[in-house]
Amino acid sequence: MARPRIVVRDLVKTFREDGREVPAVADVSFEVLDGEFVALVGPSGCGKSTILNMIGGLVAPSAGTVAIDGRPVAGLPRGVGYVFQKDTVFPWRTVARNIAVGLEYHGVAGSERARRVREAVTLAGLDGFEDAFPATLSGGMRQRVALMRTLVVDPEILLMDEPFGALDTHTKINLHGELLRLWEGRRQTVVFVTHDLSEAITLADRVVVMTRRPGRVKLIHRVALPRPRDVIKLRATDEYAREYGEIWHVLGQEFSPAETA
Amino acid sequence: MSGERARILAWQLAILVVLLAAWEWLTGIKAVSRTPGLYWIDPFFISRPSAILQRFVYLSSGQVRLTLWQMALSTVQSTLWGFLVGVSTGFVAGLVLGRNDRLARIFEPYIVAFNSLPRIALVPLITMMFGFGLVAKIVLAWTIVFFIVFFNTFQGARGVDADLIHSARFLGAGERQIMRTVIVPSALAWTFASLTPSISFALIGVVVGEFLGGESGGGLGYLIIQSLGTLNAADMMVALVTLGVIGIVMALGIKQLETRLLRWRPEYRKRT
Repeated sequence: MARPRIVVRDLVKTFREDGREVPAVADVSFEVLDGEFVALVGPSGCGKSTILNMIGGLVAPSAGTVAIDGRPVAGLPRGVGYVFQKDTVFPWRTVARNIAVGLEYHGVAGSERARRVREAVTLAGLDGFEDAFPATLSGGMRQRVALMRTLVVDPEILLMDEPFGALDTHTKINLHGELLRLWEGRRQTVVFVTHDLSEAITLADRVVVMTRRPGRVKLIHRVALPRPRDVIKLRATDEYAREYGEIWHVLGQEFSPAETA
Repeated sequence: MSGERARILAWQLAILVVLLAAWEWLTGIKAVSRTPGLYWIDPFFISRPSAILQRFVYLSSGQVRLTLWQMALSTVQSTLWGFLVGVSTGFVAGLVLGRNDRLARIFEPYIVAFNSLPRIALVPLITMMFGFGLVAKIVLAWTIVFFIVFFNTFQGARGVDADLIHSARFLGAGERQIMRTVIVPSALAWTFASLTPSISFALIGVVVGEFLGGESGGGLGYLIIQSLGTLNAADMMVALVTLGVIGIVMALGIKQLETRLLRWRPEYRKRT
């Protein structure tokens, strides 16, 4: 039995808006086991990104706790990689120097750094673009740089906030394949936030389904699809359709017009 | 494309030639008046191209105490110094205040007050303090360039994307590394964009300083004021044309530098 690496307990977050307390996250609890890929899905504004930010130490909880490896999170935890939805690649650095920046911070220098950057560039399929500036790349390539930049410092825990949210479907599915390939090599512990249910099912071992704001855990669903997964063929299988149907049945209530009145 | 460029260049040259010819010709026509020596357009006030060329040759020769080249060099030197000192101090001040809200609030009224002061009003004071030489000109250029660079850098340092800082932190950056790899490059993008106006304003500051600077300060501004004293329009035109050329060359040089430094920005890539 794998040990839990991330433990979220009774997490509550309220924001102040125009002098009023607005609850964003209400009593959320779940665990992420070592090497597990967990997706957090829910309608927009359900607080799933806020939960991720609390795990990453970017936002302090109003109540409840987040612990990584048994230690409560206070400030940015070590050994955690974070991939933002927004483009956070440094525009003034070339692809290679963007990927190298984390190694630079960790004091990895010289030929060791060059070797690891070269490997990462090849892994991400960015050969030939080493000296290109981000502004000349497509959104998908930029997000690949962001992903490789995070992975190259070898974090054991990976927090991803809708990293492919701004990409077109085709690019997105390609990147799902690449992410899974990279993940299967290292088996990081992943929390992946998305509002796209098919993305969650394609990638995750378990899907945490959230309610509308204030976000609560509606359902925790284990995805019974074997690995390694072929992200394209997967979508045509009955198992995939069944998983989708089961979760949509629950998640769909959160989107239904009767309840949003 | 290159055919189009050649055509535009040909037009530009043609306009120059026509203007010079018209100037030369019109200032040669005597007015239809009984008064002798009266011109339609009097070369006494605006001189003529041929006279300007003559004075140009004379002023650049060794026959004068202070040649045109020495004066031009003095102007260029002071401008570059004022530019360098202004850019570096403006950058540091912008970075420090841009990243420190309290300091920014404390200094705000002083900066706004000093910046609202017309810099030309400072010329006599600066001359009193620093004399008639090179230093006074540099100080005057500095008082202008500093603020241009300061306000730009300040904006840049203040507007650094918080998510870029977070992502650097997640990649393991310490505070100094964040300063060096995120905040300084972000702010520099704004600083670089202010270099071209800065060099032009540095030149303005220097020339104004030279108006008052006297012979020891030298410079083309001195030549202009001297020509005013002797009512010599040709010499004045020589100084103005030389200043124009210096201004264009320096602005183009800095623009090149700016384009090179900001080549990662999409809006600068298309121009290369």
